Amino acid sequence: MKKNLITTFIFAIIIKFTIVNSYSVEPEEILQNPQQEIRARNISKNIRCLVCQNQSIDDSSAPLAKDLRELIRIKVQKNDSDEEIYKFLTDRYGDFILLKPPLKISTFLLWCLPFVFFVIGITIIVQQNKKSKKYIS
Amino acid sequence: MKRKILILPIILFFTLLIVFFYLLVIDRNPSELPSVLINKEVPSFQAKSLMTKKTFISEKEFNGEIILVNFFATWCAPCLQEHQYLKKLSNQRGLKIIGINYKDDPTTALAWLKKLGNPYADVIADKKGHIGIDWGVYGLPETFIIDSKGVIKYRLIGPITKKTYKAFYSKVMEIENL
Repeated sequence: MKKNLITTFIFAIIIKFTIVNSYSVEPEEILQNPQQEIRARNISKNIRCLVCQNQSIDDSSAPLAKDLRELIRIKVQKNDSDEEIYKFLTDRYGDFILLKPPLKISTFLLWCLPFVFFVIGITIIVQQNKKSKKYIS
Repeated sequence: MKRKILILPIILFFTLLIVFFYLLVIDRNPSELPSVLINKEVPSFQAKSLMTKKTFISEKEFNGEIILVNFFATWCAPCLQEHQYLKKLSNQRGLKIIGINYKDDPTTALAWLKKLGNPYADVIADKKGHIGIDWGVYGLPETFIIDSKGVIKYRLIGPITKKTYKAFYSKVMEIENL
């Protein structure tokens, strides 16, 4: 049993460090200029594939993802700014196309609730701690 | 006091349970996305018409009457399924439907329409899928309802089926009567 666990753990580590760079960019898509290619890759990593919905277009092999990757590369070559490219995409597909939701009034709760819960949790722990100390003494 | 606090997580748990169960039971498809183009003017585009072989200029076409815009392709199985309902909408109901032939071969598309019947007033070729991207299309078929002022009012993702035909048509009527 213990041996099994150890082997699983070792395999998990091997997998983790060998299959990091899985992406779907096809050879003919890659731009000549390495700096532009890196910019395009970084943008694609933040763009959701609307077909698979939990993958970035950099990871997805769906035809629409490929089209969007090509479109981003055309825009990068035209020297459009990152903001312009993101705006182009959100104007058509909405904020959902961004893997990381932007901080807006409508998403305020989404971003802040984790911190609120964290503070609540800490307060409860501190209070319980105080109580148990009182009990002991 | 202490008992009251203990009962709180239990209440919370059951409310969550009810909410999750409700979301599970109602008829919804979580992968269906709302369109950001609703209540916006149709994206302008110019492309070759497969039928007249002339250039279709969107600015000239979308005004005066309610128009359906249907993205389709011959390689898309649900489009074939939907086809009979589009014919029904154009032949029986007299609606103007503009078909956008998404990433398809023009000859195959024309042959497909010849065989099955053509519900479209015009068919536009979108060979590279760029018109589709401008309309926020992410899966075929998709059907948009455009009002008489050229404003997008509704988008249906997926095919019009026997089940959804009635609801779709009443949506069209609702927009026409606004």
